[in-house]
Amino acid sequence: MSNNYFNSLPLRVQLAELGKCRFMHISEFPDGVAALKGKKMVVIGCGAQGLNQGLNLRDSGLDVSYTLRQAAIDEQRQSWKSATENGFTVGTYEELIPTADVVLNLTPDKQHTSVVNAVMPLMKNGACLSYSHGFNIVEEGMKVRDDLTVIMVAPKCPGSEVRAEYVRGFGVPTLIAVHEDNDPNGEGLTLAKAYAFGTGGHKAGVLMSSFIAEVKSDLMGEQTILCGMLQTGSLLCYDKMIEEGVDAGYASKLIQFGWETVTEALKYGGVTNMLDRLSNPAKIKAFDLAEELKGIMRSLYNKHQDDIMTGNFSSTMMADWANDDKELLGWRADTAETPFEKMPAGDMEISEQEYFDNGILMIAMVKAGVELAFETMTAAGIIPDSAYYESLHETPLIANTIARKKLYEMNATISDTAEYGCYLFNHACVPLLADFMKGIKSDVIGRGLSVDDNGVDNARLIEVNAALRSHPVEEIGATLRGHMADMKKIV
Amino acid sequence: MTIRLDDFTVQFDQGFQLSHINWQIEPGQHWVITGTNGAGKSALSAVLAGAGDRLSGSIDNLPERVGVVSFEAQAELIAAELKKDDADILDVISEGTPVREIIFDDCANPETACDLIARFELDYLLDRAFRKLSTGESRKVILIRALASNPDLLVLDEVFEGLDAATLSMLEQYLPTLANRVTMVMVLNRFDQIPEFISHVAYVEHGELLHQVRRNDEKSYAELYQLLHLKTTHLDVPPIDPDTEIPQLDSQQPLVRLNGISIKYGDFTLLDKLDWCIEANQHWQLSGPNGSGKTALLSLITGDHPQCYVNDIVVFGYQRGNGESIWQIKQFIGYVSTALQWEYRVGTSLRNVIISGFYDSIGLYSKCTDKQRQIADQWLALLGMRGRSDQPFNKLSYGDQRLLLIARAMVKHPPLLILDEPCLGLDDMNRQLVLALIEKICAGSETSVIYVNHHPEDCIKGIDNYLALK
Repeated sequence: MSNNYFNSLPLRVQLAELGKCRFMHISEFPDGVAALKGKKMVVIGCGAQGLNQGLNLRDSGLDVSYTLRQAAIDEQRQSWKSATENGFTVGTYEELIPTADVVLNLTPDKQHTSVVNAVMPLMKNGACLSYSHGFNIVEEGMKVRDDLTVIMVAPKCPGSEVRAEYVRGFGVPTLIAVHEDNDPNGEGLTLAKAYAFGTGGHKAGVLMSSFIAEVKSDLMGEQTILCGMLQTGSLLCYDKMIEEGVDAGYASKLIQFGWETVTEALKYGGVTNMLDRLSNPAKIKAFDLAEELKGIMRSLYNKHQDDIMTGNFSSTMMADWANDDKELLGWRADTAETPFEKMPAGDMEISEQEYFDNGILMIAMVKAGVELAFETMTAAGIIPDSAYYESLHETPLIANTIARKKLYEMNATISDTAEYGCYLFNHACVPLLADFMKGIKSDVIGRGLSVDDNGVDNARLIEVNAALRSHPVEEIGATLRGHMADMKKIV
Repeated sequence: MTIRLDDFTVQFDQGFQLSHINWQIEPGQHWVITGTNGAGKSALSAVLAGAGDRLSGSIDNLPERVGVVSFEAQAELIAAELKKDDADILDVISEGTPVREIIFDDCANPETACDLIARFELDYLLDRAFRKLSTGESRKVILIRALASNPDLLVLDEVFEGLDAATLSMLEQYLPTLANRVTMVMVLNRFDQIPEFISHVAYVEHGELLHQVRRNDEKSYAELYQLLHLKTTHLDVPPIDPDTEIPQLDSQQPLVRLNGISIKYGDFTLLDKLDWCIEANQHWQLSGPNGSGKTALLSLITGDHPQCYVNDIVVFGYQRGNGESIWQIKQFIGYVSTALQWEYRVGTSLRNVIISGFYDSIGLYSKCTDKQRQIADQWLALLGMRGRSDQPFNKLSYGDQRLLLIARAMVKHPPLLILDEPCLGLDDMNRQLVLALIEKICAGSETSVIYVNHHPEDCIKGIDNYLALK
């Protein structure tokens, strides 16, 4: 079994690395792609990230080709077709890696160890190896040859969006990092900046972070609020509505599209705006439910963060990898059989506002999940900027996948680490919330509050509004969304 | 049963209203709705399919099954398909829904669908992803879907637009065969396309139904035609922005040289060994049936087609594939197409849409200058939209959006202007405005024009080079 790199570091360095995350101004990119001009960039893997990043880099004037395993070429698999139809040169590792100045590893995490072990001996002296996720370095302790520069460039959006925004003349927020142990010529940052520029990321905002901060915050966000909370919430809310006699088609639709609708409000104006979309009595109700949920779930969030920090999470997951994903695939199949998953969304119309009014509990779950994830991450030494991006910022993106084809689709398309984390979270969280759910009625999920008038107590409303607005995730959120709005006028 | 609208006022979600509509459609009648862009033609036809929120008055006897073909319906389906792709997280390439599913899922009358697929010769498309179709191809698919739904009423909003000559004449022959079975209401921008079986014409302006004319009332019919031919105002193209420099090109060199270019998808060859050279100050008309590769050919020039890197292409002095960036190419090109209009799904202001032409972006992400704002306002005045600079683009009517995108393309006075079916979906008056604008651009020497269209009658003075694809 591999050695956990993070655990090998002294506490002083661990804390310093976790605390790295700085928003870079567009004026810090005066040299554009110059550092990569004329260099050979070879991409490993041609999935959505690989293909779309490559298209952007080539359109920015860089020399991009693709390397695939011999079998993928011989069998003309989808990855081979994607690269070839888009007019890229495709070759085997042996053909292309020795010519590469930069090797872009854009394969799934699970393949990193075997891929990197295969390409490393072929790489030329002094070349650069780039990742878009740091799991292999941080959790699996991959030792990369001393002469090689190791960087990370991670667009914080799905591959299709990385391309679509570039074509519009914009980009997506992108995280970059340099692996300090592998920066022999001190050129890591220059290369990472040029790469981010080539994908258009500089226009939307580049975050300068570290491999460690990226891994520890990304894992935490994806397994708790992003996937875990939405999965657990979907199943519990659906079952409750059926129990309360809400029409099954309606219940299915309210959940499938409800997450997307309410988190759209989150994207624009944070947790505050999401709750401001409710009537005053409903807002206070959602606030109270969220407080209760936070009390119940805090220990679970802490456990997830602790397991991520100690490496316990990754070793458990790698054991399942080694066991042919037995646990994960079994759970994925179980998810497909849940009542929510099997009930198609009804064809009734649900207005945008109705998703809020009848989904108070869902809003409370998003609020509780976002705030808990943020609080837990920052308490563990991750700085607020990272914690914001890995919790609140990405929630609408995942909600989007549920709107598309429910949970099975979400789990099948998110990264392997996210899905395994989601599995662990859901297993623990469903029983944890069992008692809480007993007290829930359809007024907070499915039918909306039945009140005669919308009157509330002044003092209580002021208290709730103040608590909402003063949460630290709202403060950093306002600042970061401000950066974005400066550049992206159309949002 | 007679469909009856009595003093009917209805609101649409963009705040647009149709007011006090009194209208009766009796069995056996067939109507054309006409009017200027933004008047409410599409809205009135959509009301028959149940669209809009009733404010007052009544609408009675709407048939249960209504088949609708419109740009809006097409755009909606395409947006839904694009959204599926947008939502795709991390590492899966979505192929999109195949045409077969689009047509046959929930199809009331598969025999009709099969018959139409044969008539349209669309067999070859059935397994392709709907969103990968060309504009004209996807239009035919929507049409088949509506015709095969066993409708009691057919609403055909600009149904002839975007079809090649062969398909158009097939459809013109097919629709009359339906006339004694199904009531038809068509929105048409061209008087010369009104079919024989149409019995009545309705004229809409500012959300009101102003005139209802029987087809055989020749005098009123002619007047209505006149009304649509309002004289356009004198055109003065706004000046260039002195601060937005497009590098000088060598006037001795061609703007574009394509040498033996090919486009292939797997085993399918779309274009094969084509040569094309566009000299500075030449104007070209490009034609060809739906799916013949017109748009793909143009996107090799603009750099939007990935196979531009595996072909021998020289544009504006750059041999493609030698480290130039796509923005270095795009700065020389102004571009308008239906696809661009579908891409331009942003809630930005009219002024910013025009200014985005200086930056070749969809949406505006850069700080603009006062001079640029001033030029944008001049363009808006030219288009008859003075004082509307701050209105949101996505609330404009379809035709007004097109006019604005043409202004966006021309705002930097590019050496090459590509107009991919610029008149698609425009009414007579705006079509004349656009054609007059294009003629003006052709007459000046600074911009070369590539003009793509299906309609021989939309020819433009000054264009004397032709390329026809098969």
